[in-house]
Amino acid sequence: MSATGAEPTPPVTGAGAGVGAMAGMIGAGGGVVLLLAATLGVKAWVSSATDRLEHPAETKAKVAIADQAEVAYCTPRFKEVLERVLHSCGLAQDETRRGCKPADVKTFASISDSDFNELFTPLKDRGAVILFDEGMQDLDEGAKKLLEDKWFQRKGARYFFVVARASKSGNQAKNRALSHRRANSVMFDLTSVANDPEIDKKVGLLWLGNEFAQLSKDYCSWPTSRANEKCDEEAINRSAFVSWVDCRL
Amino acid sequence: MLGSSSRFPATLSLVGCLLGLLFASYSTMDYAEHLDRGLHDVHCSFIPGAPPTSEAEACRAAMYSPYSALFREAMWGGVPISLFALGAFAFLGGFALYLWLAHERAPRVAVGFFAGVGITPLLVSLVMLTISVTKLGHLCKTCVGIYISSFLLAIGAVSGLFTLKGATRPVLSLLFVVAWLLALGLTTLVPAAVYAASVPDERPYLNKCGSLKQPKMTAGAPVKIHGSRAIQPVMFFEDPLCPTCRAFHERLLDEGVFERLDVDLLLFPLDSECNWMLESPIHPGACIVSKAVICGGDRTRQILEWAYDEQVYLTRAGKAGANVLRAAIKQRWGDDLLRCVDDRKTDVILNQHLHFASDNSIPVSTPQMYLGSKRVCDEDTDMGLRFALKELAPEVLK
Repeated sequence: MSATGAEPTPPVTGAGAGVGAMAGMIGAGGGVVLLLAATLGVKAWVSSATDRLEHPAETKAKVAIADQAEVAYCTPRFKEVLERVLHSCGLAQDETRRGCKPADVKTFASISDSDFNELFTPLKDRGAVILFDEGMQDLDEGAKKLLEDKWFQRKGARYFFVVARASKSGNQAKNRALSHRRANSVMFDLTSVANDPEIDKKVGLLWLGNEFAQLSKDYCSWPTSRANEKCDEEAINRSAFVSWVDCRL
Repeated sequence: MLGSSSRFPATLSLVGCLLGLLFASYSTMDYAEHLDRGLHDVHCSFIPGAPPTSEAEACRAAMYSPYSALFREAMWGGVPISLFALGAFAFLGGFALYLWLAHERAPRVAVGFFAGVGITPLLVSLVMLTISVTKLGHLCKTCVGIYISSFLLAIGAVSGLFTLKGATRPVLSLLFVVAWLLALGLTTLVPAAVYAASVPDERPYLNKCGSLKQPKMTAGAPVKIHGSRAIQPVMFFEDPLCPTCRAFHERLLDEGVFERLDVDLLLFPLDSECNWMLESPIHPGACIVSKAVICGGDRTRQILEWAYDEQVYLTRAGKAGANVLRAAIKQRWGDDLLRCVDDRKTDVILNQHLHFASDNSIPVSTPQMYLGSKRVCDEDTDMGLRFALKELAPEVLK
């Protein structure tokens, strides 16, 4: 037993030194192999990434692109008619002429009265019917509130349509002018409420007088600005239908 | 007590080195794979051989963090520190093999040297562990694998000293220590040098991620956040409940970049309650929290950072219902802010932000960063952030 308490060990012989040297060489070789493997791995991973960078795969995952809303009622026919409105009534371009009068609508829509109205049926809950007094174009408080509510429920829509009408009472020219004034009245109110410098690019005005696409009494069940008042076919046509349209036009 | 003939220390060291090599390889492989500017699954498991996964937020956050690589301004993504681990573990593995084979004939100086250098990976691991806990707030499993490997190596290397007690060992010149140190230094640098020499030039790709068609909002205005030393105008599209946005914000803070930015913030909540571009909510409640940010006024930044800090809680509240979320906002920011959140005008502003996004046909994803009208690619906002900023807006790094 040594003074330190350790077990006696055999003296290191020449053979022992040889084993140590051999171990050293194998260890160094092992280290080199590990280093080589790691380095070649690094080289291969970087080369592979470089190759993918320079020659990207054709089939890249498609990324959704932000766009206006497009909902179920945006049928091809509906969009076709509305696109004609946009183009023919000066909304899609920076033109000075704004809005569409009955003759224009008849021409570009190429659609019967009932089919025209039918197109707007899916907008029953999205839009509303602003009602006016006979021969008048002024918006009452209820109309202003409803119009404001509808305007601020824009969601993903790009265009807001105003389809003004007049009832059968009176002559055609007078009703044409009256429905035009009603459309403008809605537009003026929106302009003051919206505080939007680009409102002209958003609002599409149509005035139909009493010549085209008159509403039947059935439309009295739609949301109106005078929900508690008597509604008949005369009353429902003294109106402006307003709605955002959730279609990509 | 270990006898002089015990092979346990060398065996443990060798196991530690091989495990360390494996985990460092995974980490390096993941890093290198992203040099193609794509998004890939990453290894994130304690189990050697586990495949890469998309569920690896902590590992991805560590990979994108400023602490994962060196020289990140000089080259895209920088030189990942795992490369140095690769080289070091290779050297130490070879040395452990030598000690294992030499057994009790290993010179004292070799065992002592190994004990000295064998603890260095553990010291580095402790530094990285501290950074992970204090700066990143979570632990990446692959990194923990390296920490554990380093621990095993250190235990093996130090316990080797106990085998020397009383044993007669061959004598070796101290010059060997110098040579081994040089070899260690060299092998530690080799993988990093090979990596740095091989990485592709990413500069041509920096400006290829699109631009805004109409960079100025015509209706409404973005939320403004001025950094304390703002110098660079920048536009962000963010969702306060999006974890990637939070990580991006933290990266900008960690990099010291955020204070140099004059931010136009556009809220882009990935919540179908207000965002018509989604069929279902990805981050329920994000619309309400976005409105809180819009309502922030002077406190906008605080509210945004609160939303990021409390993201897990707010996301849970959002799933529980709008009123739960409203209560959380009211509790933290008071009645006035909640009134503003519920005001129709705030809905309109948020809607304007979303329409600005759709008018510009931006990708439906967050976060997005724009310098002028140019979009900074997603990969240049994470791994390549510092490099991209040096190329595109060098003043923010000064």
